[in-house]
Amino acid sequence: MVTGYGAVTPLGLNVEDTWRNLVAGVSGVGYISLFDATDFKVKIAAEVRGFDPADYLDATTARRNDRFAQFALVAGMQAIDAAGLKVDDTNRYNIGVLIGSGVGGLDALAEQLDVLKTRGPTRVSPFLVPMMIADSASSQVSIKMGIRGPNFGLISACATGTDALGVAYKMIKWGEIKAMVAGGADGAVTPVGFAGFTQSGALSRNNEPQKASRPFDMERDGFVVGEGGAVLVLESLDYARYRDANIIAEVIGYGATSDAFHITQPMESGEAAAKAIELALAGVERNEVDYINAHGTSTPLNDASETKAIKKAFGDMAYKIPISSAKSMLGHMMGAAGAIEAIVCCKVINEGVIPPTVNLEHPDPECDLDYVPNVARDGDVRIAISNSFGFGGHNSVIAIGRYDGQ
Amino acid sequence: MMDVFEEVKKALCKANPGLDESKVVSGALLKDDLDIDSLDLVEVAMTLEDVFSLTLPEDEMENIATVGDIVSVIEARLKVKSG
Repeated sequence: MVTGYGAVTPLGLNVEDTWRNLVAGVSGVGYISLFDATDFKVKIAAEVRGFDPADYLDATTARRNDRFAQFALVAGMQAIDAAGLKVDDTNRYNIGVLIGSGVGGLDALAEQLDVLKTRGPTRVSPFLVPMMIADSASSQVSIKMGIRGPNFGLISACATGTDALGVAYKMIKWGEIKAMVAGGADGAVTPVGFAGFTQSGALSRNNEPQKASRPFDMERDGFVVGEGGAVLVLESLDYARYRDANIIAEVIGYGATSDAFHITQPMESGEAAAKAIELALAGVERNEVDYINAHGTSTPLNDASETKAIKKAFGDMAYKIPISSAKSMLGHMMGAAGAIEAIVCCKVINEGVIPPTVNLEHPDPECDLDYVPNVARDGDVRIAISNSFGFGGHNSVIAIGRYDGQ
Repeated sequence: MMDVFEEVKKALCKANPGLDESKVVSGALLKDDLDIDSLDLVEVAMTLEDVFSLTLPEDEMENIATVGDIVSVIEARLKVKSG
């Protein structure tokens, strides 16, 4: 059961602001402000704007956490608060944390590499390692909230957020834990990270910020780096009932496969991705799926192969299901992407509105499904799936359903 | 000559920006009174090494419990240096 969520995104410092902007078709992409991008070929990103850690965290906690972990902390605190989950001596060992990160504390590492080179090993910060390690997102939430069940990270590139939710869901389903605080966080808008992504050829070279992320459009030419954190509270039905929690929606399935093909390119046929969709929908009829939140990165390869995967998994039904890409507005929040997109699925189910895929102006014959172009649409959605794929051939899909209260 | 205590106080406040300066007295316990843990102490030592242009031996830093202990280690080192 999903009983709470929180998020810090390029479209807002909480879920409600983010959702409102998504429905309105607002783009969170702009020129890079976090570093001087003069010498960079790509000068745009979807940055989290107006985020001051001091608004949420004491000075020591803020300073001892890399930006990605700050996002995780704030989104985690929001989620736990929204779930009305009081952590105390009666339950602290029954709750776990699993907030993944695609790259961890890249900024901290880059900064201390400079110190190492210019001032030598005895001047490297004792906080480098605790700030850099990707599991610090989970650990810091555990420390802050007094949660003593398992806490660990998980990394599967851009599928991280979805895999974290999927694993948390399974841990609860198997009866290992009553509740999990799960999601993803990344803050990779740093010079070295950016240079690396640019060189890998995956980023859009479009320097018109709000037009650059254009999933499924003929003129798409790469993704836009985003950042942020998104966290959900998942718990068993028994525990949610026991503490009389408000149930927002229900995770009903999770599937994960690998392309076994290439380190950055997806398998063109979408075969393994289709298999992940099928696994997530075990026991669900294809015609019961009312919405697909696409991975939809805006890279030429992803959007074409994802379309093939959807067709393979759904057959002719594929043409009838509304599909949209939140990345057209949020950019690619990396490890947080799957988690914010799961939150979007919850909102779609509860609000009856499907946010659009913006910048879809020139249809691509290879992408011929219903991507809800440019304008939000009303929709009665009972079951939604969220696709996440990642460098390394990860295909992860989570299925979320309306909770009817039976 | 630099006031060792004042420099130690500055380094402690830098390591813990939320620190109430009036609490930084010679007998104050680093961990219990000032919320300075072992990682902070490494940072404090690095700051002070730069300020006084000296090296603080790890074994001497390990036994430090109070603000006064840090001051003593530095004063001893400065004496070795000038002597």
